[in-house]
Amino acid sequence: MEPIVVGQVSSAGIKPANDDACGVHIPQGSQLYNKGIIAVIADGVSSSAGAAEASHSCVQGFINDYYSTPESWTVSTSASKIFSALNQWLLGHGQRVFSNSRDMVTTLSVLVIKSSTAYIFHVGDSRIYHCRSGVAEQITNDHHVQGRGDKRYLGRAMGINHHIEVDAHKLSVNQEDGFLLTTDGLHEFISSSEINGVIAQYADQPQLIADTLLTMALENGSDDNISCQYVQVNQLPAEDEQSFYERIQELPFAPELSVGMSMDGFKILRELHSSARTQLYLAYDIQQERQVILKTPSVNYEDDSTYLDTFQHEEWAGLRTHSPHVMRVYDIRERRRFLYYVSEYINGITLRQWMADHPQPTLQEVRAIAEQIIRGLRTFHRLEMVHRDLKPENIMIDSHGTVKIIDFGSTRISGIEEISSPVDHSRILGTRNYTAPEIIAGGSGSPFSDQFSLAVILYEMLSGKLPYGDLGDHPSIEKLLRKIKHSHYTVLNHHTKEVPVWMAASIQKALDPSPAKRYPAFSEFYHDLIQANPLFRIDHHTPLIERDPLSFWRGLSLLLIVTNITLLILLNT
Amino acid sequence: MNSSEHTANHAIPNLFSFTGKIKILHMSWFAFFITFMIWFNHAPLMATIRETFNLTSQEVKTLLILNVALTIPARIIIGMLVDRYGPRIVYSILLAVSGVLCMLYAMADSFEQLAITRFMMGFVGAGFVIGIRMVSEWFPAREVGVAEGIYGGWGNFGSAAAAMTLPSLALFYGGEDGWRYAIGSTGVVAILYSFVYYLNVSNTPKGSTYFKPKKSGAMEVTSKGDLVLYLLMNLPMYVALAVLNWKLSPANLGLYNEGIVLLIYGLLFALYLVQSFRVLEVNRHVLKGEVAEIDRYSFKQVAILDLSYMVTFGSELAVVSMLPLFFLDTFNISAILAGMLASGFAFMNLVARPGGGLLSDRFGRKKTLIILLIGSMIGYITLSNVDGTWALPLAVMATMACSFFVQAGEGAVFAMVPLVKRRLTGQVAGMAGAYGNVGGVTFLTVLSFVEPALFFITIAVAAFVVMILVALFLEEPEGHMAEVLPDGTVELIEVN
Repeated sequence: MEPIVVGQVSSAGIKPANDDACGVHIPQGSQLYNKGIIAVIADGVSSSAGAAEASHSCVQGFINDYYSTPESWTVSTSASKIFSALNQWLLGHGQRVFSNSRDMVTTLSVLVIKSSTAYIFHVGDSRIYHCRSGVAEQITNDHHVQGRGDKRYLGRAMGINHHIEVDAHKLSVNQEDGFLLTTDGLHEFISSSEINGVIAQYADQPQLIADTLLTMALENGSDDNISCQYVQVNQLPAEDEQSFYERIQELPFAPELSVGMSMDGFKILRELHSSARTQLYLAYDIQQERQVILKTPSVNYEDDSTYLDTFQHEEWAGLRTHSPHVMRVYDIRERRRFLYYVSEYINGITLRQWMADHPQPTLQEVRAIAEQIIRGLRTFHRLEMVHRDLKPENIMIDSHGTVKIIDFGSTRISGIEEISSPVDHSRILGTRNYTAPEIIAGGSGSPFSDQFSLAVILYEMLSGKLPYGDLGDHPSIEKLLRKIKHSHYTVLNHHTKEVPVWMAASIQKALDPSPAKRYPAFSEFYHDLIQANPLFRIDHHTPLIERDPLSFWRGLSLLLIVTNITLLILLNT
Repeated sequence: MNSSEHTANHAIPNLFSFTGKIKILHMSWFAFFITFMIWFNHAPLMATIRETFNLTSQEVKTLLILNVALTIPARIIIGMLVDRYGPRIVYSILLAVSGVLCMLYAMADSFEQLAITRFMMGFVGAGFVIGIRMVSEWFPAREVGVAEGIYGGWGNFGSAAAAMTLPSLALFYGGEDGWRYAIGSTGVVAILYSFVYYLNVSNTPKGSTYFKPKKSGAMEVTSKGDLVLYLLMNLPMYVALAVLNWKLSPANLGLYNEGIVLLIYGLLFALYLVQSFRVLEVNRHVLKGEVAEIDRYSFKQVAILDLSYMVTFGSELAVVSMLPLFFLDTFNISAILAGMLASGFAFMNLVARPGGGLLSDRFGRKKTLIILLIGSMIGYITLSNVDGTWALPLAVMATMACSFFVQAGEGAVFAMVPLVKRRLTGQVAGMAGAYGNVGGVTFLTVLSFVEPALFFITIAVAAFVVMILVALFLEEPEGHMAEVLPDGTVELIEVN
């Protein structure tokens, strides 16, 4: 039995033309898991001249565009971008063709089933029902406004306004659930008990359900176009555990590699690094005639499914980020027979090394590096990814001075997070000194978290110190969070007077324990790094308690001790 | 060359370096060395202590058992502390605390005080776990076997160092209280080293990523049968302590009254319940359904390795405790000489333990373990025949030969530990270690009832039984699926 079966029908009814449209797409292969299936229904508003074109464009456009959005995006992100793009197009096209921007108006209802969740996006008065155990429940609201008398108007639709509000619903799907999408030519003329009856009568035959509903609507005197789709979920478009484990274990671990060995056309030139988790080799790609980095998983984790999944995630993320400031991962999936991945060889040093070589960098040097890191991070954020483990060891500077972000092992990928997985990723954490407190506390992180890490790095480049002190070996997470929250922050100017106060203040803002108080966008942060923001007034009279709370409290405690001892001596004499 | 034996071409780290991970290794094995020295600092001085306090033979043996009793639960507690606070601080505190306990022991002026402080010093024996964790954080897979062999082997040598040096040190201090100063000195060393350790190591390499342990408190098993076996395998740890409790009760030695005896029984029972509950909680998923194949492993392997470690390391703990006194009583020699000669047993640690691992890598794991267990059995049978009529050098050679097999057996067990289930290596190692202590308590309890000759025979019988179990039930761990051709090309082997 097919995992998902759809029956659909669209008819002009007694009208001369059909302004309805509907469409469905069930992809094959990995796209089924990564993007899910989609069903779209639209009812062009017949009072507008381009009704049919509007509804057809929306259905086709939505389906095509949805599968072209990055796999790292969430369904909601993809849908909202497509909704506004389609809406803009309807307005513009209406203007051009019918010289009225409101001549291409349509309702639009979208159902996406990805993994075990259904996402419903909706504007207008077509409907989506969720059918479980014989009962169809209407999920969408009809966007009607009451006119004079009995007259009702469409309150919201595509192609009316530049601003569009789309209703979004999310519900979990079980096997054997069904979804019914209808236009008003159908649901205005059939009662919900009739719908339930038809679904019950033709269980497992979606096309019959659709056809029967159409016939009933006509019999009941429908005077409009009639369309409906019935989506029957026999099996969720999700990978089952068995195939998940098969996939992550498909490739065997490479044996211990040593210089001179060759594997799948890669000749090992040198071991660059080995740790308890991975080995890194410099290798020569004989096919492509270039030097590459080959990363192999440590045999320590041979049977650790979380690790295996993460290792493969890393490559997945790397293959999708294209930026001169992000390490390139090469696609070698065709030729490899072992588990490893290959990335560009960056001939250069880590930022950690650079910092050791430049203990007192100029502001311009720091800004140049910051700018390139920001560019790299933007690539991640645009793809709805969060790097989450940004630190000087994970930033390379090549011989031309180009800065590149490496290591995507902790990267959060929103679109993947929506896919339910048998392994638990919650124990993956970045390096404490550079990780934003919200991630240490167990949160999944946001672009603000990367901003925090970047600011720690800038702080360290400028002063050689860490803003909240060394948290590396700090015994407990709770204590560590308390330390950050209760501002054990040392003002940058305490360590160095070379940095302008306004620049120090902008770094402090990006280091705020609360993500909401950081910069809303990297552009603002970068701007404040170059130009004095008048908000950060140059105030030489900041009290010590704010400038350096640690020294303040230490000093105060010392004073108290001295006073107490003095008192004790005085009392005893 | 077939790389299914790929562990044979271990990368041997450059031990003469004193930076990075090698520094961590040196710092850590020395910390373990000191804990082991402290843990067994009473053995070579026992003759003098016996004299000072006029101890009966039963009381002496009680002290020996008490020394290894608390270690069993302590390992679990230390393991949890390391999970939470990291090895650096835990090792430092353990060293400092054991230094203080050591001094208290040195200052004891009655059998009861000796007993209580010795009992508390059982905590020191749990140091092993901490360093194992530290080393595994720092070394890549390729080197970790050798690194942990060095850590364990050289650290265990601490008991030999104590046996060789403490009697002379006591003599050097001189006087009636010489032994007190000698034991106190080891405490001072520990306290000083706790600071050195704290200031010189860190929990993970700089810039490395911190990982939260997944599940803690109990080991994961992967089938219902294994769950039952696991619950059963936890039992001996409590039984060993219960036997000790009975040994100290009014019915036997009478160290404390009936009320306390019952209290301890109750406490042990409650602890077992708590632990079993924890085990069930961690393994709830097993009761619900099938575990994914990648996660499956056979707990039987763990159980057999546990028992093997019980007869090897367990017997070593017991023999190291009693050997100086045994030599002294059997051959009527001085305490210094007895200590020196007895140290021969632990001395073998330097080579035998890493050697056992190497043999296992090279000649097949099951075969090696069986041969080493048979060797241990013959060794202990030989030791059971040692009496005053033997030439002293011959007796020393017999102990050394026996200890070679015993310690190589320990090495062979630990070479297999990571192959049971990579992901659970730490927990498998922890449980094997705990069984080592169960062995120590068990064999020393046996010693408290019988003469040394029968004690050795008991160990030999135990080694025989375990050898049979190994032969029948242990499965040879699987090899790898890749092969390196002579020209250095890596090829895939088809496995069906």
